[in-house]
Amino acid sequence: MANVGKSRKAPIAFILPSFVLLIPIFLLPLGLGIYLSLHDKSLGFPQPITFVGLTNYHSDVVNTNFYSAVKVTAEFMAVAIFIQIPIGVLLATLLHSTKKFVSFFRSSLLIPMLLTPVAVALMWRFMFSSELGIINWLLKSLAILQPDWLGNVRAAFFAIAIVDSWQSIPFVILITLAGLASMPLAPQEAAIVDGATAIQRFRFVTLPLLKPVLLVILLIRIIDSFKLFDIIFILTRGGPGTATQTLSMLDYNTAFTFLATSRAAAIGVVLAAMSLPLYLLWKKIISVSA
Amino acid sequence: MRDLKRRSAKFFTYCVLSLAVFSALFPIFWTITTSLKKRVDTFSLPPKFFNFSPTLDNYKKLFSDPVFLKVYLNTALFTFGSAILSICIGSLAAYAIARNPKFHGKATLEIFLILLRAMPGVVLIVPLYDLCAKLHLLGQLPVLIVIITALNLPFTIWMLTPFFAAIPLEIEEAGMVDGLSTWLIFRKIVVPLALPGISAAAIFLSLLTWNEFLVPVILGDQSTQTLPVFISGFISARTLDWGPMAAASSLAIIPIAALTVFVQRKLVVGLSFGALKE
Repeated sequence: MANVGKSRKAPIAFILPSFVLLIPIFLLPLGLGIYLSLHDKSLGFPQPITFVGLTNYHSDVVNTNFYSAVKVTAEFMAVAIFIQIPIGVLLATLLHSTKKFVSFFRSSLLIPMLLTPVAVALMWRFMFSSELGIINWLLKSLAILQPDWLGNVRAAFFAIAIVDSWQSIPFVILITLAGLASMPLAPQEAAIVDGATAIQRFRFVTLPLLKPVLLVILLIRIIDSFKLFDIIFILTRGGPGTATQTLSMLDYNTAFTFLATSRAAAIGVVLAAMSLPLYLLWKKIISVSA
Repeated sequence: MRDLKRRSAKFFTYCVLSLAVFSALFPIFWTITTSLKKRVDTFSLPPKFFNFSPTLDNYKKLFSDPVFLKVYLNTALFTFGSAILSICIGSLAAYAIARNPKFHGKATLEIFLILLRAMPGVVLIVPLYDLCAKLHLLGQLPVLIVIITALNLPFTIWMLTPFFAAIPLEIEEAGMVDGLSTWLIFRKIVVPLALPGISAAAIFLSLLTWNEFLVPVILGDQSTQTLPVFISGFISARTLDWGPMAAASSLAIIPIAALTVFVQRKLVVGLSFGALKE
């Protein structure tokens, strides 16, 4: 019987439907994207398409809009890494240390996580409105500066960062809590016996043990801030000017506002290439945490 | 002294957590109350938190619009159609992966899945739009369902694999001894045992698809509008009709808020690339 156990394998054929799905919806568009990026095609003008070599990459990838989009994307990534993760880990740690109302706090804090981003962003847009919005009403009654949230270059960036943080910090909390829950108790107890303060225990016991979990959170927050789209689309569409135009938003605007299919495809190919390092990062992180 | 310190730490903890809970819940409270206000109350300053007379007018307005009923139907078909398809295809793959951890092609599949998860959606949507336009596949709900199923495949497989891996081989061996075919073992023994995992994955996938915006807004048309596409339509040139918009948003987010509380623990695996077990 033991032999049966060893040789018992599910048929590899079961994996075929996944490939059948991935080929037309992942590989084919990727190939077509590369093809389009080397040709001249725009949605508005149905002329026969011609081969133009790397022109689209020259003219569109290497220009000021693209660099500005790289900068904006990097800034949103920085918010994710340096603001969302620390706040999320702090809240999860505090939550883990409490005994009363734990499930109330936990459930309430996690709710924003999976709410429809389009609906969430529209509601924040309502709250951000400069004359009649509740946020500026609050700032006014506290006698603080009331920015034109979605019309001002700096304020629009903060507005999007706030909404993204509102939805993403709960994710950091959820994963950190899972990490804390599976942590061995012995090292903590030993530290208490040795007279370590709460802050020392967090710094020298909890944080090192949490490292694999933190790496996973870091990877996913980097990926998801790279992909950030819905919230920006609803709040500013990349504006004012190009102040909040991330790489995704630039690609979208090029394809569907300026109808420049080939140029958008070139940007897409660059974005696909930029996600390759994330794959390598994933391989590394999984080998640490598994 | 020590007791005082501990108490102030506790006080600090509860203050921070309460503030966080307030920030997390206030926008939701504000959406729901706005949906219950008359137009005059919507914009009144100082804002009316509780002192308004609630009305269901905004909801009545929405539901009297035949377009909105179609939108809800589309969203339901899109969400559940894709959840079912995802589960069928994903379960097969997850079972094969769980039982053959080192097969040829696993690396290929892994690269596909991670790139798919890591790439911004627009990268694929631009060429997909071109492709669908050529093949006259734009604005068809079944096409949208197949596409979103493919895009959600990474989540599906990551969530399901640990559940299949956890099923003891001995149970399958019993099926073999009874002379069942591989397919029947899968169908009659494995799937029922993995059902708790399958249902958690189905809920999670439904949440993802329910929220999906890019695919239906670009590859769909008026006849395939889903809830997020419909809601985004409220940003018209000048007038923002906040009351009905808040009502439509409430209808989008309330079911999810309820489900999130219900399945939070199960979400960990799918959200963390399977790197963390629940």
